[in-house]
Amino acid sequence: MHVVIVGGGLVGSSLAEKLSGDGHDVVLVEQDRELVAELNDRLDVQTIRGNGATVPVLLQAGIENCDLLLATTDSDEVNMVVALVGSTLFKVPRVVARLRHQGHEESFNKIASEIGGEMLAINPDEATVERIMSLLPVPGAVDVVPFFDGRLLVAGFRVRPDSEFAGLMLSHLRLLFPATPMLVVAIRRDGQWTVPHGEDEIQAGDLVYFAMDVAELDNVLTLLGLRKGVERKVMIAGATRIGISLAKRLEAEDMPATLIDAVLARCEVAAAELMNTVVVHGSPTDRSLLIEEGADRAESFVACTDDHEENVVACLLARQLGTTHTFALVDNPALAGLIGDLGIDAVISPRQLAVALALQFARKGRVKAVATLMEDYVEVIDVEAAPGSRLVSAPLAELGLPRGVLVAAVRRGDRLLVPKGDDRIQPADEVLLITKTRDAARLDPFLEGER
Amino acid sequence: MNRRFVIHLLGRLLLIMAAFLGVPLLAAGWFREPLYPYIGSMLVAAAAGAAMIALSRPENSHIRPRDGFLIVGGSWIAVSLLGALPYLIAGVLGPEDALFESVSGFTTTGSTVIAEVTVVPRALLLWRALSQWLGGMGIILFTIAILPLLGIGGMQLFKAEVPGPVVDKVRPRLAATARSLWGVYVGLTAAEWVLLQVAGVSSYEALCHAFTTLPTGGFSTRNTSVGEFGIPAVEWIVTLFMLLAGINFVLHYRLLTGRGRQVLRDRELRYFLGVVGVATIILTVCVHTPGERIIDTLRIAAFQTASILTTTGYVTADFEVWPSLALIVILVLMMLGGMSGSTGGGVKSLRAMLAMRSLRATLHRLIHPHAVRPVKYANQVVQESVLSGIWAFLTAYIVIAIIGTAVVAAHGYDLLTSISASLTAISNVGPGLGEVGAYDNFAHTPGLVKITLAIIMLFGRLEIFTLLAMLSREFWRR
Repeated sequence: MHVVIVGGGLVGSSLAEKLSGDGHDVVLVEQDRELVAELNDRLDVQTIRGNGATVPVLLQAGIENCDLLLATTDSDEVNMVVALVGSTLFKVPRVVARLRHQGHEESFNKIASEIGGEMLAINPDEATVERIMSLLPVPGAVDVVPFFDGRLLVAGFRVRPDSEFAGLMLSHLRLLFPATPMLVVAIRRDGQWTVPHGEDEIQAGDLVYFAMDVAELDNVLTLLGLRKGVERKVMIAGATRIGISLAKRLEAEDMPATLIDAVLARCEVAAAELMNTVVVHGSPTDRSLLIEEGADRAESFVACTDDHEENVVACLLARQLGTTHTFALVDNPALAGLIGDLGIDAVISPRQLAVALALQFARKGRVKAVATLMEDYVEVIDVEAAPGSRLVSAPLAELGLPRGVLVAAVRRGDRLLVPKGDDRIQPADEVLLITKTRDAARLDPFLEGER
Repeated sequence: MNRRFVIHLLGRLLLIMAAFLGVPLLAAGWFREPLYPYIGSMLVAAAAGAAMIALSRPENSHIRPRDGFLIVGGSWIAVSLLGALPYLIAGVLGPEDALFESVSGFTTTGSTVIAEVTVVPRALLLWRALSQWLGGMGIILFTIAILPLLGIGGMQLFKAEVPGPVVDKVRPRLAATARSLWGVYVGLTAAEWVLLQVAGVSSYEALCHAFTTLPTGGFSTRNTSVGEFGIPAVEWIVTLFMLLAGINFVLHYRLLTGRGRQVLRDRELRYFLGVVGVATIILTVCVHTPGERIIDTLRIAAFQTASILTTTGYVTADFEVWPSLALIVILVLMMLGGMSGSTGGGVKSLRAMLAMRSLRATLHRLIHPHAVRPVKYANQVVQESVLSGIWAFLTAYIVIAIIGTAVVAAHGYDLLTSISASLTAISNVGPGLGEVGAYDNFAHTPGLVKITLAIIMLFGRLEIFTLLAMLSREFWRR
């Protein structure tokens, strides 16, 4: 597949790296000279310096025989132009545009339905709000990704020493808690990721990802020894687009929220848009202000200012004051890696979410959803088992799946199964696979159906 | 440093070289010549390669700049040493001579220490030609093309081996780019092989010359080079292919993929062809003697211009007897070299062009101290870092050329011989002037001179910086 990516920022370059790793021919267009030089050395892709919204540059990038065009610059307007030029002038079959403004997204979708063709708008801010909304009801989770239309959760938790799971061998999990079907799909210990097998043991301090039926959530939380906050209240730092949008969603669900921002003008905008949320003008890293607003009793603290370092500091402060769960928006992967052990429950990267959504679209066909777990080492892939594919050819234990690949769950009609080695996947089953990101391509032969 | 991966890669490279030794081995079988030089070298290469692969289990293939230099520099040194073995085992040359001949081969220089070529086994001459052919497009580029195991950092190796200040990928993937370039190279080699046979050269000699024209190498199977065939058509064919080899292979690729107009608009190509035209005219005027046909003089002048400018080094005339003006033209052509991205050596057209433009911009700034006047090429501003890289290259080129000249002069040679020997080595041309001129060779030079010139050839082929970086103390500091 020939892929053209316009915009070499964090989103564009991660997509380029992944798609090139998947074996596609990638051409990356970027205006910034130094960035171009750096990406050209770092990635196995062709780089072109220039304005990707102009026809000559797109021609140079080979837009004429391009199968997928991704517009991921920082500007909504540029992305819009790139996507429209690609789909109308050059009839690119699949087009993705990253659009942060909801109004732009709506216009884009209207145009897309007019033109016809596969066009997708990705809104990292909306995706972030979605992610936070799925994290809030799962206190203590580092990461929650819903699959199978929300029926199955893949959620990561840090195992506390007082948890029932500490020191447990995985193969005993099913024996000890037969009433709670769940599967450990990934473990992170001392910075190392593993996709475990039965003989591996869970240790206190591990970050453990479970795949579980959503109905079993409360049981799992109890087993993990996690508690809920004193008041069901959410504090949001930063009246950014994400902060306001989150507050609106919370209002819709009748959750009390407090929104704090250091800039008066932003507070005024937020106060005008919101109904029940308490909007407070002040710094989210002001200790006495946080106490005044009841951070010590709140259940969750979400830091979503545009300054991601400040988000980390604000979360640490809230945590120290007694907020039960804290969430910080952090895009820089190096920073996100650093703070895993500081006690912040979850780090959310809008850009990585955008990457995951675009990848999901790019790999579309066999794959219904892709999610990368923290730091990008482990990938969760949701596929429909194609008739005649190797996946349905034998019982799981005899399939010869690559090491480190796990079948986490299967949805067959209305039923949700956690499969065992002697189970067989049937055609039209929806299957959740776990793999290390770098091994993802090795799964392809298993997913292809008959031609 | 990712030492394990560096060793692993060098091991693989040696295995590939062992496979290529099969070519002279087959030829030796065909010509009923002794087989042991090639079998022995193959065993050494295979054993060393296998041992290196077995002893190194790389955890990842991430290469940092330092590893990149080490891989490129190490590969070329390893391959040069290995390439000397067949000469040594066959008993044709002594140790320094074998090394000189091998380095001169892989770096596509074409200077020789073999005074009497015709008595050397034909399979060994084929190996000599093959070594130039491999070195021309680059052994690492070849490795990248057939073993796409380099992802991250591969671009650095590519840049280190492809001549020129700026390197383009013609295809989105590095491995695909390397395959495209090698494909063009193989295609042109085959075309020349066929044409030379049509013009009346034996199949074996046509192959040897095709193998040494496209890399702008210059080894011949005749003592007095291409001129000895005495066939004008052969000389025109070789002239054409030398020029093709001196042109950026990216342009060939574009031409073949139907983007001819882009190729014609290329400034560097126009400049390169301009230099060829002007030099040919000057040489024709200098050399023409009344009574001869002008077309014959033109043929000799065009051949010599192409041969020296592209740094091939074939000869059809003893240019030592030419007037001084013609010799100066030859020395200047030696320095200029081919286009960037070609297989030629020397300073390269693009560097020469940009250096001149940078000079003009500097003068402009002297007169208009507040002027903003960037150096432009093809309507794009050339970055300061590229320009300073070019000036650094020119400085290093001159310094190394002077050191080389001094070493040769210290052994009692005259100035013309010393200067031309040093220049011919650093630009990977082949013949020099004076005692190492068109019909002479390097057999009479002392061992130290041979070793020095061989090292300078390696500097020249790897565009100086790679080896220079390896010589810096910073490089080895942890």
